[in-house]
Amino acid sequence: MVTLTIDNQTVTVPAGTTVLEAAQKLGIVVPHLCYHKELGAVGSCRMCAVMIHKGTLTGLKMSCLIAVEEGMVVTTTDERSMALREQVGEWLMLNHPHDCPVCDEGGECQLQEMTIAVGHGRRRYTGKKHTYPNQDLGPFIAQEMNRCIHCYRCARTYKDYCGGRDFGVMGSRNRVTFGRFADGMLQSDFSGNLIDFCPTGVFTDRTFRFTSRFWDLQEADSVCSHCGVGCAVIPGGRLHQLQRVRSGTNAAVNGSFLCDRGRFGFDYGRHPERPRRARRDGQEVAVDVALEALMSDARALIDAEGPEAVLLLGSERASLESNWLLQRLAKELGCRVPVLSPHARRHQAAQAVAFDLSHQLASLADVRTADVAVVFGVDPLAEAPLLALALRQIVRQGGRVVVCDPRPVELPFAFEHQPLSPLALHELLGGGDMDGKHLRDLLRQAKQPVLVAGADLLGTAGLRHVHSLAQRIATDDRACPIYPVLAGANSFGAALLSLPEQDDLMTRLEGDHVRMMICLETDPLVEGPDGKPLGERLARLEKLVVFDYLPTAVAARADTFIPTCPPVEASGTFINSEGRLRRFERVLAPGASLAHKEDGAHPPRAFFLTQPDSEPLPAPRLLQRLLGGETSLAQIQAEMVMDRPRLAALPQLKAGEEGERVAATVARALPEEKLPEQPAGTLQLVVSPARYGSDLLSRYARQLTPRLTTACVYLHPEDAERHGVQEGDRVDLDTRFGRFTLPLALSETLARGCALVENSAALPEPIPGSGISFCRIGRGGANG
Amino acid sequence: MSRHVFRDIRGTLQPFWVTLRNLFRKPVTVQYPEQKQQLPERYRARLILTRDPDGGERCVACHLCSAACPVDCISMQATEAADGRRYAAWFRINFTRCIFCGLCTEACPTKAIQVTADFELAGRDPLKLVYEKVDLLVDHCGNDNSYNFYHQTGIGVTAPRGENPQETKPMDVKDLMP
Amino acid sequence: MADTLFTVVLILAKLALIFGVVLFMAAYLVLAERKILGRMQLRYGPNRVGPFGLMQPLADVIKLLTKEDFLPARADKWLFLVAPGITAVTALLVFAVVPFGPTIEVFGRTIPAAVVDLNVGVLYFLGVSSMAVYGVVLGGWASCSKYSLLGSVRGLSQMVSYELSLGLSLVPVIMMARSFSLHDIVMAQASVPFLLLNPVACFVFLICILAESNRIPFDLPEAENELVGGFHTEYSGMRFGLFFVGEYINLVVLGSLMTVFFLGGWHGPWLPPVVWFLIKVLMVCGLFIWIRACLPRLRYDQLMNLGWKVLLPVSLLNILVTGAVLLGLGL
Ligand code: SF4
Ligand code: SF4
Ligand code: SF4
Ligand code: SF4
Ligand code: FES
Repeated sequence: MVTLTIDNQTVTVPAGTTVLEAAQKLGIVVPHLCYHKELGAVGSCRMCAVMIHKGTLTGLKMSCLIAVEEGMVVTTTDERSMALREQVGEWLMLNHPHDCPVCDEGGECQLQEMTIAVGHGRRRYTGKKHTYPNQDLGPFIAQEMNRCIHCYRCARTYKDYCGGRDFGVMGSRNRVTFGRFADGMLQSDFSGNLIDFCPTGVFTDRTFRFTSRFWDLQEADSVCSHCGVGCAVIPGGRLHQLQRVRSGTNAAVNGSFLCDRGRFGFDYGRHPERPRRARRDGQEVAVDVALEALMSDARALIDAEGPEAVLLLGSERASLESNWLLQRLAKELGCRVPVLSPHARRHQAAQAVAFDLSHQLASLADVRTADVAVVFGVDPLAEAPLLALALRQIVRQGGRVVVCDPRPVELPFAFEHQPLSPLALHELLGGGDMDGKHLRDLLRQAKQPVLVAGADLLGTAGLRHVHSLAQRIATDDRACPIYPVLAGANSFGAALLSLPEQDDLMTRLEGDHVRMMICLETDPLVEGPDGKPLGERLARLEKLVVFDYLPTAVAARADTFIPTCPPVEASGTFINSEGRLRRFERVLAPGASLAHKEDGAHPPRAFFLTQPDSEPLPAPRLLQRLLGGETSLAQIQAEMVMDRPRLAALPQLKAGEEGERVAATVARALPEEKLPEQPAGTLQLVVSPARYGSDLLSRYARQLTPRLTTACVYLHPEDAERHGVQEGDRVDLDTRFGRFTLPLALSETLARGCALVENSAALPEPIPGSGISFCRIGRGGANG
Repeated sequence: MSRHVFRDIRGTLQPFWVTLRNLFRKPVTVQYPEQKQQLPERYRARLILTRDPDGGERCVACHLCSAACPVDCISMQATEAADGRRYAAWFRINFTRCIFCGLCTEACPTKAIQVTADFELAGRDPLKLVYEKVDLLVDHCGNDNSYNFYHQTGIGVTAPRGENPQETKPMDVKDLMP
Repeated sequence: MADTLFTVVLILAKLALIFGVVLFMAAYLVLAERKILGRMQLRYGPNRVGPFGLMQPLADVIKLLTKEDFLPARADKWLFLVAPGITAVTALLVFAVVPFGPTIEVFGRTIPAAVVDLNVGVLYFLGVSSMAVYGVVLGGWASCSKYSLLGSVRGLSQMVSYELSLGLSLVPVIMMARSFSLHDIVMAQASVPFLLLNPVACFVFLICILAESNRIPFDLPEAENELVGGFHTEYSGMRFGLFFVGEYINLVVLGSLMTVFFLGGWHGPWLPPVVWFLIKVLMVCGLFIWIRACLPRLRYDQLMNLGWKVLLPVSLLNILVTGAVLLGLGL
C-alpha cells in the first residue's frame, strides 16, 4: 500500500495504481480519454495532465501513466495542468466535424464530457479540418471516422483485448484511421464492444441508429439471458420499445464486455408475432379468466384422476422466482413436483455442477487471472462467448490454454487444440493416458490452474471426472477451480431448485395418466432432445397450458396460453454457470411499441388509461395469482430463503452489483455411468450449438439474422474419404433423432471419427447435450 | 419607532388619495379581442419548424429541444433519409403544456425550431393543441435566411465528404508519403 | 286571533322584504366592489355580462350553481356541508333587529320598521354575530386540510380578540341612549349622531367590524397568498358561494349597525327615512371597499397587538370618560 497526497487529500492505494486511479478513488475526476479501466493506459490523448510536486518525476505529467509513489504530492487543479488540459481539449477538437446533433453518441459521449470538463468552448482555429473516408462495417456497427480523436481505444479493445483480427490501425502520420482493410462485416464475435469503448461517435450501434437519445432511454441493470455466463447488461428502451443493450460492469463476470449475441440479440421480446394476449381454446380471453379456468381444470383433473394427472414443466429460461413458485403451485395443487427442464440430461449435468462441484467453482474473473486453463468439451465462442475473452486474457499474460474438444474450435488467440472425440474425451478424463499425463504436468506446474468443463458434452459423468481431476491437482496452497459451462441463463438455478432424483420429462409422460401439462417459459419441442415423440404425446393431452413471451411452436399448440414478460419487462434472479446470483430489474413496462420510424407516422392521438397490449405480466406475478395473493418480489425471496438455505444471499442481492455466489454444499454419491459401445461403421455424432441461433432467444432475435449460418455436416477429411463423400456433397446423416440430409463440409481440426452438426435456426434438431450417440453417413439419396 | 410615525400615517392615508384619484381616470385595460395590441418583435408564442435556405428540413431530430424543454412537451423520433440525412419521422409539440419559454429555440443547434407571435391558441379540444410535424413545419427560413447546419458540419450529407468550405478532401489512408 | 294572524303576516312580509333587499344588495355589492376596485386600479372590472357588466352577479350565481360540489375525501361530511350555511344564516339573523325606519302607523297599529324590535337588540346582535365565527371554524375544521384548519384557527382567535372591544365600544352608546333597543338608540340620535358625540367609540367599532367581517386588512383567515384560501380552500360551487355571499350580507348588516349605532340611523333632512338609512349603509359599505383598495393585510402579531394592546384599553378608557362626562353633565 502506498500513501500519497492529491489536491491536499491523502489516499492509500495498492502499489502499481496510477495517479489517475488514485484520484478517482478520492472522487477527483481527472479528464481522460484514452485510459479505460479495462484497457489500461497508453498515454495517447494527453488529456490527463496533472502537476506532480514531489516524486521521482516531477512537473506536468500524464496521470494515467505515472504509478503512485509513497509520499507523492499531486495537484490536479493548478494553473499549468488546467491550461494544458484545455489546450489538449482544443486541439482534439480541431478536426472534429462538430456534428453532435446528428451523432448517436451525443449525450453519452466522453469527448463531449471531457471537452466541457477541460473548459474548451470556443473555436479559435480558422484553418481547414481533415476528413477521412468511412467504411461499411456491416449491420451492427456504424463508422464516422471524422469524429476520431486517435485515442487507440478501439484497436486496443478489438485487437488487444478481444483478439479480433480484421480491424486495426491503418495509415501513417495524420492519416491514421481505424477500420478494416476493406469494407465488410466485422468478423469478431465481440465487435459490439467498439460501441462502448470508443469514447467518441466513430463507432456507434447501427441497430440503434437515430433511434433515441441516451437521456430519453429508460435503463436498468439487467442480466443477459442468452447463455449461462450471465453478463451484466444495461438494456435501454423508449416509447415501450426495447432499443439497445449496452454493457454493464461486473468485475467477477464480464468486466465491461459483451458478446455480439448478447448485445444485438435483444429484440426477441419485440418479435412481431410475440403473443401478448391470453388465449383459451382459440379465443382471446382476459388473463384472469384464463388463470381461473386453468386452475379449476387442474383441480378437477387432480380430484378425478389423482396427482399424476397434471404435470408442471419449468425451465432454464424462467427466473429462479418463477421456478420456485411453480414448485409452490405443485404443492398447492397436490400434484407431483415440477420438472424444471425439458432437457433431462442437461438438467442432470447442471445438477452435478450445482451440487457436486459447488465448492470448487471458478468465476470468470478467476479464469481471466489464471495462468493455465484446460478446457474440456467446450467451444467457448459457441457456448459461452465471454469465456473465450477470459481465456484470451490468460494467453495475453503469458499463460497457456489447452482445449480438449472434438469440434474444430476457433478462438481469438493461440492455444493448443486436442481434437478428441466424445468417447476419447471421456476415456481421457476417466482413465488418463499419455495426453492426460501431459495435461496433468501442465496443471501441476501452474501457479493458478483452472479447468473449464462443458456440461453439454461431458454430462454428469464427465463433470465428475473433471471434479476428481481438479481435486487431484489442487494442493493446500493452490486451488484448482472449475468453470462450468451451462447452456441456459438459469440452468444452475433450475438445477438447484429441483430434487436430484427427478424423473425426466419423457418418463413422466409415459403411459396415459398425465392429462394436463403446464409449460412455464419453455418450448419442450425444441428445447428438449425428444421433440418428435414429445410432439406426439402432447397431442394426446387433454389440456396444454403454456406461459411464454415467445411465439414458440408449443405456444401455438396450447389450449390455454398466458403471455408473460421477457427479463427486460420483469424483475427477478438468475443463477449463472458459476453459481452467482444475478438480479435483473425491469427496464420497461410491457406494451405495444409507440416508436414509429416511418415517415409521417406518429404515436396515436388519443389518451389511454392503460397502455395497449400491456396485458402480459411477469411469470412470478401470474403464478402468485394462481396461488391466490400477490406479494412483492422481496417477500417471495424471503420465503425462498427459508425454503432453500443455499439462497441465503438472495434478499440482499442488488441488480448491477457483483452478486453473491450460492452457498456450497456437499457432493452427492452417484453411481458411475457406463460409456456406450460404438457400433462398427458408425461415427460419433457431435451436436454443437451454433454461435448464433441455437438458444431459443437468439432464434427469435431478428437482428442476429446477418450472423446466422447455414446448416451442414462437418467431417474430418480422412473420415470423408473413408465414407466416400466429398466436400459439398449432400449427405444423409442417420441419427437416433432421425435422418438429416445436409451439405458436407470438411474440417482438418475436427476430431477423427466424428460427425459434427450445428444446432441453429436452420437445423433446430438435434439438440446439443443429448449424450453420446452414433450416426451413419452416406451419400444423399442412398439407403441406410 | 416614533421617527416613523408621520411617515406611517402618511403611508396609510396616501393610498386613499391615490385610489380616489384613479377612480376618475381612464383605465389602461386593452379591450381584447375588440382591440388588439401591437406585440413586441421578439414575442414568444406558437412554435414552428423552419427550413434551411436550400429548402431542406432544418430539424435533425437531435432531441436537444426536448431535453431543454422544462415541461417536456416536445417528443420526436429521428430517422434516416437515403442520403444519410437525419430528420424527424414525427415531431410533436403538446401546446397544452408548452409555457412558451423559448428554451427550445435556444437549444436548437440548427435554428429549426423558432417562435412566432401567434398566441391565439385557445380551444376546447386539448387534442387540437397537440401539433404534429405537418402542423409545425413551415415553408420558410424564419428569422435566419442563411444558416444551413449541414454546411457547417463535416459528415457529408448535403455536400460530399470533405467538400464543405472549411474542410480538406478526405485523406488517402493508404498514402505512405511522410 | 286576527291580531296574531296579522302580526305573523306582517312579520313574514317584512322578512321577505328584508331578505330580498339584503340579498340583492349583497349581490350587487359584489359587483360594485369589483368595479370600484377595478377603477381604483385603472381597470374596468367586470364589463362583459350585460350592459356595464350588470348581469355579472347572475352569471356568477349560475356559474357557482353549475360547478362541481366537491367533498374532500377525508372531510367531516356533515359539518362540511353545514358550515357555509352558518355563515350566511347568522348574518341574516342579525338583521332581524335592525330598524331601518321609524315606526309607522298602519291600520291603527304601530309597526316597527324592523322584523322585531327587541328591547335587548344590542345583546342579540352581539350574541348572534359571535355565532358567525362557527361557520369559519367548522368549515375549516371539517375540510381536513391544513390550510383550512390554519385559516379557521386564525378566524377564531381574531374573533375572540375583537369581539371584546366590539362589545365594549358599544357600552358608551348604550350609556348615552340608556337602552338596549336599537330603535331607542336611533331615536337618541335624532339631533346629533353618536359619531360626533363619541368619535372614539365609533372608530373602535369601525375597526372591530372590519375585523369581524374578515375583510382586508383583517382577512387573515383566508389570506389566499399564504393559506391558499384559508377556511374555504376546499369549498367549491355554491357552498363556496354561500361563504362568499355570507361575507357580503355581513357587510350590509355591519353597515346597517354602524348606521344605527353611530350615524343616526334613518334620521336626516329632506329625504324619506328609509332612503337616508340606505344611503348611510351604502356609504359604510363604500368605505369598506375603499379600505380594501388601499390597505395591505396586517401581520398576525400586529393584529393581536392592535386588538389587545390598543383597542381594548382605548374602549375601556372611553367607557370611563363617557361615564364621567355623563355624570358630570348630570344626565
Ligand atoms: S475510433 Fe474511437 S476509439 Fe478509435 S481511436 Fe478514434 S476515437 Fe479512439
Ligand atoms: S457471453 Fe453469454 S451472457 Fe454474456 S453477453 Fe454473450 S450471450 Fe450474453
Ligand atoms: S417554448 Fe418552452 S415549454 Fe414550449 S416547447 Fe419550447 S422549451 Fe418547451
Ligand atoms: S433542437 Fe432543433 S434540430 Fe434538434 S430536434 Fe429540436 S428542432 Fe430539431
Ligand atoms: S488518459 Fe492519460 S493520456 Fe489519455
